[in-house]
Amino acid sequence: MEIVDKLKILADSAKYDASCSSSGSNRGNTKGGIGNGDVSGICHSWGADGRCISLLKILMSNCCVYDCKYCINRCTNTVPRATFTPREIADLTIQFYKRNYIEGLFLSSAVIKNPDYTMEKLYETILILRKEYKFNGYIHVKTIPGCSQELIDKLGTLVDRTSINIELPSEASLKLLAPEKEKAGILSPMNYIAKNISISKQEKSIHKPKFVPAGQTTQLMVGATPETDLKIMKLSESLYTKLKLKRVYYSAYVSINEDSLLPALKEPPLLRENRLYQADWLLRFYNFTMDELLDETHPNFNPLLDPKCDWALRHLEQFPVEINRADYHTLLRVPGIGVTSAKRIITARRAFNLKFDDLKKLRVVLKRARYFITCNGKYFDQIQHFSETFISENLLFLERLSSENQNSFEQISLFTNFNKDLNNPHSLLPTKEDKVKALTGSL
Amino acid sequence: MQNLVYIYDGSFEGLLTIVFDVYIENVFPQVIVSEEKYIPNILDTTKIIETNFEKSKRIFNGIVKNISYDALYHSYYAFLSNDENKEINIVQYLVYGFHAGPKINTMLSVNFVANVHYMRKKMLHEAHRLKGLLRFQEVNKNLFYASIHPDNNVIETVGHHFIRRLPTQNFIIHDKNRNILFLYNTKDYCIVPAENFNIPQITDEEKKYQKLWKSFFETIAIKERKNSKLQMQFMPKKYWQDLVEKNV
Repeated sequence: MEIVDKLKILADSAKYDASCSSSGSNRGNTKGGIGNGDVSGICHSWGADGRCISLLKILMSNCCVYDCKYCINRCTNTVPRATFTPREIADLTIQFYKRNYIEGLFLSSAVIKNPDYTMEKLYETILILRKEYKFNGYIHVKTIPGCSQELIDKLGTLVDRTSINIELPSEASLKLLAPEKEKAGILSPMNYIAKNISISKQEKSIHKPKFVPAGQTTQLMVGATPETDLKIMKLSESLYTKLKLKRVYYSAYVSINEDSLLPALKEPPLLRENRLYQADWLLRFYNFTMDELLDETHPNFNPLLDPKCDWALRHLEQFPVEINRADYHTLLRVPGIGVTSAKRIITARRAFNLKFDDLKKLRVVLKRARYFITCNGKYFDQIQHFSETFISENLLFLERLSSENQNSFEQISLFTNFNKDLNNPHSLLPTKEDKVKALTGSL
Repeated sequence: MQNLVYIYDGSFEGLLTIVFDVYIENVFPQVIVSEEKYIPNILDTTKIIETNFEKSKRIFNGIVKNISYDALYHSYYAFLSNDENKEINIVQYLVYGFHAGPKINTMLSVNFVANVHYMRKKMLHEAHRLKGLLRFQEVNKNLFYASIHPDNNVIETVGHHFIRRLPTQNFIIHDKNRNILFLYNTKDYCIVPAENFNIPQITDEEKKYQKLWKSFFETIAIKERKNSKLQMQFMPKKYWQDLVEKNV
């Protein structure tokens, strides 16, 4: 088989893995070596689906012995199968890297024969890259659940990041859709890696190789099983706090296999995935906890508003926030103000008192924030009273306008759009079908 | 009133010379422009500023001593941006900086400080983008060539990145908008104007890898999630002409 055919088959099998980042490692170059890590990560291209291409994302092999219902490579599927040799992968990585196509390698594999055999092969590849080619670029390797700890130890000192995909957020779903996998089989290597990372972090010697310096990640599938947003996010929260994971990726389920146990979605639930990512950022950078964002009475995110706006509207007693006084964490909770803006405000107000015009100079976006802040005790422009309905109607009005601008380039005319009365924002709200379709992926 | 226009040679040293003169004479020009960009106008009072290395060196050291390292980086990176009003903003920023000291960088609500910070950010942002979007092509055994069309003058920043990353590889980066070359021969580098430079032919080996990359690029996208708008947002069309995966 030609190498280009193998590449097509094995990249095709790897594409459902959402993980793409190349950040978190500042591995330096060695003498006579090639490559280095960039701590913020570098994206090298963007595919037709708008997702970034940073790493050469391929499987070593897609000849799997497992039969997970949701997976394209399940052993009962008839798809073209291929296997790379370790040498082929190493050569391809180096040649792509030299041309600056990629930031490194993201190597995963279907389970060939058994987990240990697969991990041995992965290890062999990485060893060629790191030792023979002196490659110091980014390497992300999947840990195969059920492999021996010895292999994890050996691989951990060579790679930058490792991950095990949980995919199904509950044990019941796991039993149903991935009968060969077990909860313990997935979580125990994650625990083991987390423990080793924390030991390695305390190590003072700079000569000892760091164990998985860019940390571990995982992926959860959204929309294949009936779990609520609350349940999914609770799981991520505990993964962040207990296992110190760097990232949890959410992947909108794409119907690729037909199975009576799986829902047949026409479109992947992309809006829901988006909301989960927004909430994920709130957990990691904005000091929110899941209990604040969702509860048993609201187990799913609002499809109309982003989670932060939604939270703010339910907690109007904490607003408005005074820009010149509020501390960093309070500023972060204002919808529309992010980490960069909050830091800029804190810096700038040390020199001068800030007015709304100054905020514009700092390039703080006021589209949402204006309803939640005051400068020197004054509200923005004409806004005088704050009520939930007033704010939410205005926000939704803006959203509706912008989404209409995006989707249609109709000429505005006096004689059409009778039903869109500008004085009545209600008529401009997204219709129920609009958003529910995006949420469920039109079941 | 007539416009007071300072004309300089377009180098960073030239700009620092202006800072020196402005600081001493306490006269601010309305416009500062490089010789090549200046369009003569009958209403302008022009003054040609000769680059003086003595003066520029004093300012250079003075910035580090009296303002901060950050201020030096801010002004240099802002200088590399393609903003039309960069010169006057940088001069105001530095002259005021000599009065205010290191806290100049906290005064983000002052126009010229905000502008200088923004110009720096714009330039570094494009440099970061090109660290990813630049494509080397092998034109000879272990000689790589890449062409770029950046808005800002990013060639130095990008070149240094690749020296750290690929130190054993000879490479040429060609900024086609400014027609300058960044040359590196595994030991030293230089930036020279690209005069009489012929774009070299690629090797057969190179064609093979371009084909591989292209097929990888096409395979990795999920068809069900197609979103050209998002793709274009991250990877604007102005960069496509240099991308292997978008051409060949």
